[in-house]
Amino acid sequence: MIFNSEISAQQQHTTSPVVTGGSVIALVYNGGVVIGTDTLCSYGSMAEFKNVEKIAQVSKNTIYVSSGEFSDFQQVVKELAKIDRQALQYDDGVHPSPRDYGNYLARLSYKKRCKINPLYLQNVIAGFHNGERYLALVDIYGTYLESNFVTTGFASYFCKAIISNYWNENCTLEQAKQVIKECFKVLFCRDCRAHDVIQIAYVDEQGTHIEQPERVETKWDFNGFKTRANEKLHTQ
Amino acid sequence: MLKHLYDTDCVTWSPQGKLFQVEYAMEAVKQGSICLGLKSNENVVLCSLKRQPSELAGYQEKQFKIDDHMAIAIAGLTADARVLCKYMRTECLEYKYTYESHHPVGRLVYKVAEKSQHKTQSGAKRPYGVGLLVAGIDPNGVHLFETCPSGNYYEYKCQAIGSRSQAARTYFESWFHLFEKSTLEQLILHGLSAIKKAIMEDEELNEKNVEVGILGKNQKFTHLNAQELRDYIAKLDAFNPNSQIQQE
Repeated sequence: MIFNSEISAQQQHTTSPVVTGGSVIALVYNGGVVIGTDTLCSYGSMAEFKNVEKIAQVSKNTIYVSSGEFSDFQQVVKELAKIDRQALQYDDGVHPSPRDYGNYLARLSYKKRCKINPLYLQNVIAGFHNGERYLALVDIYGTYLESNFVTTGFASYFCKAIISNYWNENCTLEQAKQVIKECFKVLFCRDCRAHDVIQIAYVDEQGTHIEQPERVETKWDFNGFKTRANEKLHTQ
Repeated sequence: MLKHLYDTDCVTWSPQGKLFQVEYAMEAVKQGSICLGLKSNENVVLCSLKRQPSELAGYQEKQFKIDDHMAIAIAGLTADARVLCKYMRTECLEYKYTYESHHPVGRLVYKVAEKSQHKTQSGAKRPYGVGLLVAGIDPNGVHLFETCPSGNYYEYKCQAIGSRSQAARTYFESWFHLFEKSTLEQLILHGLSAIKKAIMEDEELNEKNVEVGILGKNQKFTHLNAQELRDYIAKLDAFNPNSQIQQE
């Protein structure tokens, strides 16, 4: 069994998340898969933790990110690390492939959903294995979908137009990163729970590369804002 | 094997450091009819000789598919083999359900060995009286393992277990250096030739008493059907491993 039974006199179920992470955008490119997410964990509507590195490297060629309840994310990272450690126990050098992680997570999420006590997460698993790019979304219900691009949260609403206009599955890494940064610019303007500091990571043949967090450029010096501050506009 | 002192149960060592119950269990494997396995870079072949309890009865099957990529051949107590077969199949199914991929072969053999060892360290239990030849293919390559009632397991290039298996192993010792690069057909013919060494003088190989199972990197486990067996057995007399050397 995957979990020990959660025994308590009054079983609590996850009804709503408390500390949440923001949108995740993941794209496939010609040499691998790239994921971007912001570095904010919100406490409801308060931007409480602003320097959180939310990209987990679960194995040499697999990364895992999720949006939703952050404590669930931390727990899942531990669960995924547990599978990899089994290789030590059996001493056979067999490590899970990215697809193995994706399916395991889908089974886990589905089991918790069936008990009406879900992992409050939209999960994204990305990897590169045997020359093949791998990208999958596992949602709160345990639905498992492999795809060339994945968006969670508000990115699903605001960013799909940008992605479909400026990205294709055989673009270069730089192009894909540029698309992700554009998307997060838009998100920062439109999504109240978004942050302008993002982190990008990519997996390719050589392995995983997690970059340092960076601030996306945003523009606020629009004339409309400047003249609004000028009272003359309102008195005339 | 003769009777020994200190052989009443598994929890008694002999002064020479032996567990006689475990040794006796391995005798049960040696009493079973022969089964053998051999592997190349691409394929594994399992061959076994089936026994017929009486003329009215069918032949006892000795090879079982565990999953698309794995199969076993048994020698010893068939009932014990059934238990291990069921366990291996369940483990493969659970692994597939969780990970959507095939159970690594070495890991499953390790699990079977752990189960077997547990039976050798308990007062109320007896060891499994069956030896398995586990053939499997996974991302680590092509595998052939042998498991023992003692809880040990070994990986082989080719191995024969059961009654009169020494004759087959002698054949293997002469020719196993050719197996790595052999084609599937050559591998099957080698396997059948080895089994032929192990049958009694008045017996003959036919499609009823021989069982051949094949596994390949792109080939799920299948048994050869009666017609294919007849064809291969017919080719045995003309089969000369020396010609394979000349090809290389």
